Amino acid sequence: MTKIDQPADPATSADQLVRLAEMLRLDFAEENLAALAEQLRLIDALEHAELEDFPPILRMDADWHE
Amino acid sequence: MSDSSALTDLSISEAAASLRCGETTSVALTQATLARIKETEPTVQAYATVTEELALESAERADRELADGHDRGLLQGIPIGVKDNCNTKGILTEVGSKAMEGFVPDYDSTVVAKLYAAGAVLIGKTRCHEWSCGGSEPPTRSAWDRDRFPGGSSIGSGVALSARSAFGTIGTDTGGSIRIPATLNNLVGMKATYGRVSAYGVLPLAWSLDHVGPLTRTARDNAIMLGAIAGHDPNDANSARVDVPDFLTDIDGGVQGIRIGIDRDYFLYPGVVDSVRVVTEAVIDELAALGAKIIEVKLPELESTRETQMTIRMVESASYHRHRIREKGHLYSPGTRATLQMGEVILATQYVAALRARERFRSAMKDLFRREYLHALISSTIPVSAPLLEDVWRPRDDMENGETPTDGFVHHVYPANLSGQPAISAPGGFTPEGLPIGYQLMGRPFDEATLYRIAYAYERTQNWHKRQPPQV
Repeated sequence: MTKIDQPADPATSADQLVRLAEMLRLDFAEENLAALAEQLRLIDALEHAELEDFPPILRMDADWHE
Repeated sequence: MSDSSALTDLSISEAAASLRCGETTSVALTQATLARIKETEPTVQAYATVTEELALESAERADRELADGHDRGLLQGIPIGVKDNCNTKGILTEVGSKAMEGFVPDYDSTVVAKLYAAGAVLIGKTRCHEWSCGGSEPPTRSAWDRDRFPGGSSIGSGVALSARSAFGTIGTDTGGSIRIPATLNNLVGMKATYGRVSAYGVLPLAWSLDHVGPLTRTARDNAIMLGAIAGHDPNDANSARVDVPDFLTDIDGGVQGIRIGIDRDYFLYPGVVDSVRVVTEAVIDELAALGAKIIEVKLPELESTRETQMTIRMVESASYHRHRIREKGHLYSPGTRATLQMGEVILATQYVAALRARERFRSAMKDLFRREYLHALISSTIPVSAPLLEDVWRPRDDMENGETPTDGFVHHVYPANLSGQPAISAPGGFTPEGLPIGYQLMGRPFDEATLYRIAYAYERTQNWHKRQPPQV
């Protein structure tokens, strides 16, 4: 088990997704989970490097030229 | 006018003018459209349900009202098809799914209610991919080449228009599903600003990415339809409280002084095939010749739009379908079920990260539009012309990275779903083999009017939109 002062690598691996799918009794093709893991790895990396100033909202403001 | 094909070839604008000067009637338009449906459906199968009786009743009412001087606007008496994911009171709504077989809603979606209020004639429900996610194929075939992909998920909405079995149609667009059938069927398709058109009563794919919008054969027709269906709806929490302008007011204002950006690194990447590249450059040159200022831009944040959109879409789809799949999973095709369920293994923190990435992208897009004072970004709608049906999901022979035609679709269309900006696809030209190629304009939020103005200016210099498909 991961110790509390040694946080797990946040990047998602295909193995993690396979285990999670098994726990939830979901049946997905391994190649699809591998592709999803790659997708999530990129989101994780983006979050780590570039999202500090951005909240999770959708703003449809109409003032782009003001 | 008595020849029914002459009637069904009319644009909405032309038909509306004919109705008002007594050259035709709504009943004649509707009968001609129904005849056209009977003629073309064995070939294209664009409709899930044809509402013949209702349509003729509506047409008679429209004729009576116009005769009495009760003019509801330019859609009055015009036969319109609606995608089969929009609830229609008393009419089958099955969203291409066996799990919804026999479902008859007891209320109208707002878009349908607005069409009725505008006096439009509902001619039928157009076929769509299962749950609007393209996981399986309906039997709908392209009128341009029956062996080629006609787009999706609003597949029937695109094909019915190109087959002249509707004057306008409604589609929905979560990841290009209005714009892709528009480009592959030589049509105009508008994904308006997020919140501009109510999604109330539309069976969702992903709430925060879903858009409802019109497909038509001309830019002017599209502006007429959007004007009829746009507006705030208290039943839709995401509906925008923004005034709806008359989109026709400045549509013929030309493009002098309009500033249009092009990110060649992203939108003319190596996956864009030569025929599409040539057409896109020709559209850009023509718009420049008409007075638009073309500006080279670079937006690195475009590169992560696919992963961001997919993560949001997958989680929201999984949430919506979670219980239904557990009850009726055997009634989903396996591929669709997996597509809709996979979001269950995405962590909440990853979903929130994707939402934050969306805000980063939208913010970067806004900064770009402000910095360069852009009115629009231009690209081809998708990087390829219509692929053969068997090639849609296969790696392309000409791409070493394993990219499929579908990968190329999402590369070009996802950004506007993610940012919520309006985006239009309009006819730009043809391949040497005679397949349609569209171009895309992404605009400022709630500035669909400028996109119509650009598309109309280009349309007037060409006759691409008048070309008809050979196979119906």
